[in-house]
Amino acid sequence: MTNWTGVLSLDLEERKGKTVAKNVFFQGAFKVMRPVYHDDTGQVCYYLLNPGGGYLDGDRYQMKITVNEGARVTLTTQSATKVYKTPKDYAYQETEISLKKGSYLEFLPDPLIAYENARYQQKNIVRMESGATFLYTDILTAGWSPSGERFTYDTVQLINEVYLDGELAVFDHIKLTPARQNMAGLGFLEGFTHLGSMIVVSEKTNSGLLDKLYELICSIGSNRIKFGLSKLPVEGFSIRILANSTQIIERVFAECHRLISQEWFDITPRSLRKY
Amino acid sequence: MDKNLLSLFQLCDSNFPTGAFSHSFGLESYIQSDVVRDQRTFFEWLQVYVHEQLIYTDGLACRLVYDALLREDLEQVWKMGRLLTVQNLPRETREGTNMIGDRMLKLSQSLYAFPLLALYRDQIKNKQSFAHPAIVFTMVAHGLEVPKPNAILYYLYSAVSSLVQNAVRAIPLGQTAGQVITHQFHSELQRAAEKIIQLPENDFGIVSPGLELAQMEHERVNIRIFMS
Repeated sequence: MTNWTGVLSLDLEERKGKTVAKNVFFQGAFKVMRPVYHDDTGQVCYYLLNPGGGYLDGDRYQMKITVNEGARVTLTTQSATKVYKTPKDYAYQETEISLKKGSYLEFLPDPLIAYENARYQQKNIVRMESGATFLYTDILTAGWSPSGERFTYDTVQLINEVYLDGELAVFDHIKLTPARQNMAGLGFLEGFTHLGSMIVVSEKTNSGLLDKLYELICSIGSNRIKFGLSKLPVEGFSIRILANSTQIIERVFAECHRLISQEWFDITPRSLRKY
Repeated sequence: MDKNLLSLFQLCDSNFPTGAFSHSFGLESYIQSDVVRDQRTFFEWLQVYVHEQLIYTDGLACRLVYDALLREDLEQVWKMGRLLTVQNLPRETREGTNMIGDRMLKLSQSLYAFPLLALYRDQIKNKQSFAHPAIVFTMVAHGLEVPKPNAILYYLYSAVSSLVQNAVRAIPLGQTAGQVITHQFHSELQRAAEKIIQLPENDFGIVSPGLELAQMEHERVNIRIFMS
């Protein structure tokens, strides 16, 4: 049995056009703020919060989110995830998401900042039924150190597994070890400092949307970023972005998110004000 | 053993018609952006491709599939086919690899009488698994009783030798330069094969962001000689 530093579970359902919590539970250094409804679509928004201010040596965080049929939720963080030095044991966070038919979850966390000598592993496991829609983004920064030097963290490992009707459909595994690898070199971050990833799984995906997203991203910053966009083995796509700031990646993701929300749900998302 | 080895070498030959000839796995994006332009820069790309991507995917899969075959755990073999496919996020590279695997399986079925190959074919047909060259190769190597470390090394050799041939055509490099690279790369292959034996199983599927991004970018390359 893992001794969790923080656990959180959220069970959401749709009631009369509005997504509400059937069950909310949190304990330890993990918290969720009161639900917010940004508009009249009934989609709920939850802000996750780490009262400790950051992840420390050996910390273990677990989150379980269930979105029942027809429910719609935005999940975000209140601020960046900070991982401090982990001299003895790496910090770990796992998130299990279960999406029932016709549900929608967008998980848009703030960037990850790993400090000097930090080791961090993050695992997102998504189990969805066909007819559900999952939209996820993450941003990995160059970290932070008092000297201003970049990439002083030890290891950051990010794993995403998406199961569609019980079958593994997406397996995404990034593991950066700056102590051993040349981050600026060919094949790694190639002179950039930030890595953004977006994964979207939905039956609504078509090649027309992919072309539109491609054009959109080119128009935002093709000279400031490097990016790739590709269809997944199931209906959906992934985007990777290399850039030199959090802001530019956030902007690209916000624009992609807006386009998708408009095309699929006829919704214009509000910005997730946090301060 | 010599007879069996010769039989496996046929699969390692870059002339073995699997279609690997048509796939650069993102190399063409680097050639077009002039990052890979000569013998030295190609060697650098190849090192990163083998040590930061191939060992965690195809290489580790060879080992895990070989182990699964030893304990007759076919479910694990079919599962690896799925894992190898779903971890490959760039569409062209994923579909290209499936095509190469499919052709290699077809050819292998006409060369070797291993019933396992037909079972694999059935699993693919029923969408329970996916065709992948590392799996076909390992099945044949195991069937020919080639030891695991050798099977892994020869698989890496076959992957690299077709990439070198492709680089010779695309950069272009002289035929001699191509042979020199292959020769110089022998120690890298040995190092990679040794690493694969040591890797923790949960290192499976690690990709290097730049390489993967170049594989995705290739979809939007206008003029191309490769399908990936």
